[in-house]
Amino acid sequence: MSVKILAIESSCDETSASVLADGVILSNYIANQTVHEQYGGVVPELASRAHQENIVPVVDLALHKAGVRKNELSAIAFTQSPGLIGSLLVGSCFAKSMALALNIPLIAVHHMQAHVLANFIGEHKPSFPFLCLTVSGGHTQIVRCDGPLDMKVIGETLDDAAGEAFDKSAKLLGLPYPGGPLIDKYAAEGDPNRFKFPEPQIPGLNFSFSGLKTSILYFLQEQREKDPQFTENNMADICASVQHRIVSILMNKLVKASKETGIREIGIAGGVSANSGLRKALQEYGKKHGWNTYIPKFEYCTDNAAMIAITAWYKYQAGEFAGLDAVPGARAGF
Amino acid sequence: MEWTFSENELEVTAKSFWQHYNAQHIFTLEGPMGAGKTTFVKALCAAKGVEDATASPTFSIINEYAYRQNGALHSIYHLDLYRLRDEDEAIAAGVEDTIYKENAICFVEWPDIVAHLLPPDTVRLQLSVLPDKKRLLRAG
Repeated sequence: MSVKILAIESSCDETSASVLADGVILSNYIANQTVHEQYGGVVPELASRAHQENIVPVVDLALHKAGVRKNELSAIAFTQSPGLIGSLLVGSCFAKSMALALNIPLIAVHHMQAHVLANFIGEHKPSFPFLCLTVSGGHTQIVRCDGPLDMKVIGETLDDAAGEAFDKSAKLLGLPYPGGPLIDKYAAEGDPNRFKFPEPQIPGLNFSFSGLKTSILYFLQEQREKDPQFTENNMADICASVQHRIVSILMNKLVKASKETGIREIGIAGGVSANSGLRKALQEYGKKHGWNTYIPKFEYCTDNAAMIAITAWYKYQAGEFAGLDAVPGARAGF
Repeated sequence: MEWTFSENELEVTAKSFWQHYNAQHIFTLEGPMGAGKTTFVKALCAAKGVEDATASPTFSIINEYAYRQNGALHSIYHLDLYRLRDEDEAIAAGVEDTIYKENAICFVEWPDIVAHLLPPDTVRLQLSVLPDKKRLLRAG
């Protein structure tokens, strides 16, 4: 009999549910809060109330699409940490209740491990050891994986995440928040070498983006004194230059990590993996340094339950189950 | 109370800050983007002996760090309410739980939407950039 797992992700903005059978994703539904933008808000609805409203329909849809009945499930998985506590609680309470009612095991998943394991959905899987650069709105990490459940963070941001560096640069340029994707769009038309922004000198494999933010702020202030329309007139070149710098900060650390560990299986994960500059750079650097490179499909890059399901599948095989006393947490450590 | 400091005076400033505010727990923190709010909170965490990686809470809304004092484990919360819309959302996100947790220290950025939830002894901090690029921290 095959192993069927229902996974729930509710760590931040999105409520998502996914069904997996023997390592294959059968469905992956994400109820994001775009519906609320129709009411004029650009700030996403974050209330755990929204998760409470979404969770039953999303789970129902995921099961229906997969053609799996509740009583066929072998385990229920949920995101335990890190995340917003109010949001995590909705997913964990739901998962626990369902596991208890069906009398099947419960699996607690770490959100950041799941991002990395999104690279293991589908046929083109990395082999171990594997290095993954996880870049999202809230996180920037280089993770060394010696097995699917054997991971270590070997570098991380000391301040802003890469996604935040994009969003906040966009805000300094007067673009709406979150403006990361807009930077990518303008950058396609611009000259990445027109303006030079400094690369922070951070020892080891850690990152820092707050200095870049401040240097962009100073740069724009100076230029606007000379030409009040400077930003508007040079938007494409500024965006291309900013993107080029953020991507080069990420890639230079990845090169360093690869050299230090001797690992050439290299992947990226997280929402910022959608950035075209980063995707292109990974391929270019990969060719130059002889890496095998991996990028999950877009729907598995942003927050989603399929990555929780694939992680739960490895945990199921390893017999790593959680008790009903498993508590969600905001702290980020593995 | 106010402090003026450059980047390499952060550590000293953080120590002096905690000497002054040894009994206060709730702080609001305001200042323009790029002023160094996250960097300053990071220095304050380090001065308290936090070993967790500290980072910006803009996306995550609430970051939690742990430190040890007299053998007991305490929490520092760093909140950024920019992405929340109103008090209901803030309560649903767990803001009350951090503000009223015993002995927990809270730094709240973009605190306007939770003005009614903050205790009367909340310390209001303002961080700004001076023309010589030093930072000015004012408490009022």
